[in-house]
Amino acid sequence: MKQLLSLVALWGLVGLYSVNAQDKNNDGKALFGDMTARHIGPALMSGRINDVEVHPTNNRIIYAGTAGGGVWKSNDAGSTFNPIFDDYCQSIGAVALDPNDPDNTIYVGTGETWTRNSVSLGDGLYKSIDGGANWKKLGFDKSERIANIIVNPKNAKEVYVAVLGALWGDSEERGVYKSLDAGETWKKLLYVNPKTGCADLIMDPIDPNVLYASMWEFRRTGWSFESGGDNSALYKSTDGGATWNKIHNGFPSGKLGRLGIAVAPSNPKVLYTVIEAEKDERKGLYRSDDAGNSWKQLNNDFGITVRPFYFSRIVVNPRDENVIVKGGLSGSISRDGGKTFKALGNMHSDIHDIAFSIKDSDIMYVGTDGGVYRSWDGGTNMEIVENLPLSQFYHISVDNETPYNVYGGLQDNGSWYGPSSSPGGVAARDWNSVGYGDGFRVLKHPTKNIIYSEMQGAENVWRIDVDRNLTKTIQPLPSKGIAKLRFNWNAPMAISVHQPDRFYMGSQFLHKSEDMGDTWKIISPDLTTNDPTKQAQEDSGGLSKDNSGAENHTTIFTIAESPLDGDVIWVGTDDGNVQVTQDGGKSWTNTVVNITGLPKNTWTYHIEASVFNKGTAYAVFEGHTQNDMHPYTYKTTDFGKTWKSIITADVVGIVRNIQEDYVNPDLLFLGTEFGLYITMDGGKNWKKFTNNMPSVAVHYIELQKETNDLVMGTHGRGVIIIDDISPLREINEEVLNKNVHFFASKPTVIHEESSFSGNFGTETQFVGRNKTKDAQIKYFLKKRHTFGKMNMEIQDMEGNTVIELGPGKSKGINIVNWNGKIKQPKIAKGKTFSFGGFTSPSVPAGSYKAVMTKGKETFEHTFELIYDTNSPLTAEEREFKNKTTMKMYDMTQELAYLVYELDEMITKSELDKNSKMAGKLIDLKETLVITTGDNYVGSAEPQLREKMADLYSKLADNYDKPTSSEVENLSIIAEKFEAAKLDFIKLKKKFKTKEPLDIMTFEEFLEHN
Amino acid sequence: MKTLKLCIAILAITCIAPLSAQTADEILDNYFENIGGLDKLKSVEGIKMVAKINQQGMEIPLEILQFSDGKQMTIINFQGKEIKQGVFDGETLWSHNFMTMKPEKSDAEATANFKLNSNDFPDSFIDYKEKGYTVELLGNETIDGTETFKIKLTKEPITVDGKKEEDVSFYYFDTENFVPIAVQSEVKSGQAKGMVQEVTFSDYQEVDGLYFPFSMTQGVKGQPGSPLTIESIVLNPTVEESSFTFPEVMAVEEK
Repeated sequence: MKQLLSLVALWGLVGLYSVNAQDKNNDGKALFGDMTARHIGPALMSGRINDVEVHPTNNRIIYAGTAGGGVWKSNDAGSTFNPIFDDYCQSIGAVALDPNDPDNTIYVGTGETWTRNSVSLGDGLYKSIDGGANWKKLGFDKSERIANIIVNPKNAKEVYVAVLGALWGDSEERGVYKSLDAGETWKKLLYVNPKTGCADLIMDPIDPNVLYASMWEFRRTGWSFESGGDNSALYKSTDGGATWNKIHNGFPSGKLGRLGIAVAPSNPKVLYTVIEAEKDERKGLYRSDDAGNSWKQLNNDFGITVRPFYFSRIVVNPRDENVIVKGGLSGSISRDGGKTFKALGNMHSDIHDIAFSIKDSDIMYVGTDGGVYRSWDGGTNMEIVENLPLSQFYHISVDNETPYNVYGGLQDNGSWYGPSSSPGGVAARDWNSVGYGDGFRVLKHPTKNIIYSEMQGAENVWRIDVDRNLTKTIQPLPSKGIAKLRFNWNAPMAISVHQPDRFYMGSQFLHKSEDMGDTWKIISPDLTTNDPTKQAQEDSGGLSKDNSGAENHTTIFTIAESPLDGDVIWVGTDDGNVQVTQDGGKSWTNTVVNITGLPKNTWTYHIEASVFNKGTAYAVFEGHTQNDMHPYTYKTTDFGKTWKSIITADVVGIVRNIQEDYVNPDLLFLGTEFGLYITMDGGKNWKKFTNNMPSVAVHYIELQKETNDLVMGTHGRGVIIIDDISPLREINEEVLNKNVHFFASKPTVIHEESSFSGNFGTETQFVGRNKTKDAQIKYFLKKRHTFGKMNMEIQDMEGNTVIELGPGKSKGINIVNWNGKIKQPKIAKGKTFSFGGFTSPSVPAGSYKAVMTKGKETFEHTFELIYDTNSPLTAEEREFKNKTTMKMYDMTQELAYLVYELDEMITKSELDKNSKMAGKLIDLKETLVITTGDNYVGSAEPQLREKMADLYSKLADNYDKPTSSEVENLSIIAEKFEAAKLDFIKLKKKFKTKEPLDIMTFEEFLEHN
Repeated sequence: MKTLKLCIAILAITCIAPLSAQTADEILDNYFENIGGLDKLKSVEGIKMVAKINQQGMEIPLEILQFSDGKQMTIINFQGKEIKQGVFDGETLWSHNFMTMKPEKSDAEATANFKLNSNDFPDSFIDYKEKGYTVELLGNETIDGTETFKIKLTKEPITVDGKKEEDVSFYYFDTENFVPIAVQSEVKSGQAKGMVQEVTFSDYQEVDGLYFPFSMTQGVKGQPGSPLTIESIVLNPTVEESSFTFPEVMAVEEK
């Protein structure tokens, strides 16, 4: 105790550290302009939630702090959520509202605290004083994981922070901290040693000087986990954190592990703790009725003791000290003060946090590995929040379909594939399940409709015949004379571009199959360090054994066959080897020895074999399991004889993936723990991409070849796509110095497909944005256009205006979309709308010019529209369709003008009190347009305008050539129109007035609003 | 235009001064100076904008009218029919229903919130202190690739679905010429509730000695927006008073 007090006396001071939202050196905002990422989820299985927080006085407001997807806020009592923390680290430990100003002041502690193997990393404490619109960092840069933040409800300046701290190594930035100036400066109040952090901190609901803190000794390595030790303990302070005492009266003897702690809001004498102890029978729930002076064990059911490092949250009903909920595999609720428990209602497993509504304890919000659930009946029935796209991908791949599909595996949520675009947007129903357990790599056979998927540790590797709906398992099995196979939790698989049926898997050996996994051949020696000290997973866990396979080590982690030569294969291992063979596996060279500046045994996370040169490859290394948070990225051009670092100080966060462009060898994409970085000069400079791209961990990147779409598998925000990155291929010094530069574009296929999307029931669902089918005009502006006119119009090659568009004015890349349609026809004015008249016809395929006028200067860019080669129409049929449609378009406008003239004449004759003439004119008008009714069920009988516009829109919207019945219909309408015109001419002759009518010409009329 | 160029040249020099030298009020002063002067702006009594929206082949003509006494309306022209939206006569906020094309009043909450803004013509920042608003310079941020000052404007609290909420928007003033190029605010109600809406401004041009943006793009932050092009702006237009008045459509009392 003395030692502890002396440590407490050494009040550490964490300096104030404030950063801007963007670091100017690597800021991509000045370049990437209109290139924005789109998110396609999925949200149907959502993702891991770390912390749920309710507003103390407004029951509509709820916050979810997620493991890898940022902070989300609900304004509608949990029906839907929106992200409010996208610019910052997305791994969240704790969200806390200042009870003195809960509408505005929010604290966010980053770094998830349920310390599984695949946890993401935090980077400190943040604060908003405007409800989450703006954030300021308050330091704790090395804290890695923040468990709790508590603001004194009687003094907003007094803030406590519980830092769990580094998981993978020693750190002195741990323990309980206090600020007396609302977060500007901090003092360390409770600290034990570099291995022990604060896992839970609570404040007495009546007396803010009374605090309880659970300290936890814990450590992970790449191959082991250890929970518990002599330093784990439960402390109490009664003087605002100045001094702390252990409160273990009634606790089990020996080492302790992770302890959860809760105080009943309705009775501060009642405390609950869950204890991880040496002996199984002494583990479980303990209760104190005297504010911690003594403890009594109440329950040690499986639901209470299961995996303390993952589940130790206890929540007491704010209105009833005897109703408590404990996180767990299913979550447990007790209504007898903790003596007995039953499981919470059916929902996604792994329950991390629970919050009761402030108004009604029947309403509960539960954070799981599969998102947030709501209960309306005290936890018996649960319903999922459907708009939290928090899926945590380990890996993704794409195919070559149109639209292409994205395949990938998720933390605790199986394996899936879904389309990159879908009618009405990419919704939950678009995703298909192709594996259970934890999902990792999912690969599509290059030529057959076959999908490979897997679960943790290659316990099952599935080969799915999609057409026949047949599935078999094909994982390599132990064979005679071969050592026990060691597969990583996230075991590598690879396919070949040279042999479609070839399939690779990595254990410590490289396995190759030439028949889609039916028979396997080992084509390497053990490529790892085979270090036996890293192979004792059955002893892992500490006080609670935890051998899930997640700590399997000394395994192969990445396999890359050269796209230029099938005999060149690269293999990277989790213990830091980079092996290459140039003869299909006969001989192997470990090239990591040629890399300088890389700490020994740093995890080889990904190797990318170049498409430009078979000796060229990129390797990224990731050292966080050795407590090393530096980025490492290297390039070789000589099969690994020499490696050159291509990382710069622009990049923040560990690197997990790299993607090479297929066209420009200097264009590279880097996936890091805190987002996406792009270089256009081979790694000399990196820019962070932030347009609708959160600072989320990017675990895998693919570049889809047909579309040039960059597809990212993120660990917390699902699949994120940047459509068509081809403009980046043209970015160089010359382009950057031009005032205006148009980017080359592929011909755009005129969109003629249509489908019914019937989005009923999706009101509260996440729906991913589709890729546009419009023609896109892309250009670079050296400077934002703010003063003076800047217009854009599309012209045909003769210079006739087709349509005007609103051009982008941003500095950097601008994208203007055009759907290939001219403006809608001018429609005769009636009482109601002619809905057919809102149709715009498409232009024919061909070359068009985008003409941009900027001040006195004009810039032109020619682009192509083409027809879909799958279209059933011949060139003649197309011409007939276009001609007929435009004939109707013109006829519609002609009628509009006629009705305009008629209206002018009616007005005039009424002015002249010529009621006879007015009557005749009105009679004619009534046969031409609707003059009564409304736009809904009060509509009147259609007249010529409606019939004409409806046929026009039928022709314009149909993909097909006009049918004979449409042509016949057209001739009926045309005849009626001709007759009307004759009647009109007759009336016009009879129309007499003193002053001549002031009537616009047809051209003027078309221009007029 | 000449004066503006001169202004820009002068400002380019002052820009070299460190950021801390700038206060929100200085930025606003510069802004008013650059667009033609605060006095001139305050003397404007009404504005009429003729504009159009181009979206997906649909061209929609609009006329926007705003007056210093809070009256305003937007007239949309569909197939020669005038549809009025957001009409405010000082007391009543109303719009035409698209189905019946008959006028209907907005709900009481929307009207009350709208009324709070009736002293904002022609610019919310004019005399903001007298109006009880607060402004705060939050720092620099890149918008549309361009360095801006981010200024937070807090107006009177509004009522959203029965609960009082702060009315906050964030204005982004170009650091080079001090005009706003974007404004962002949280959507408070409806399907997009909780999302951030963004309007960007460009094509500032002179109208009778004052500069106005002739191009705006409106949308949800991070997604492509829809452009609005202003064709002409008329200051102090004359409009019939009666066109703002809500036309009573219900029978007063049946006898």
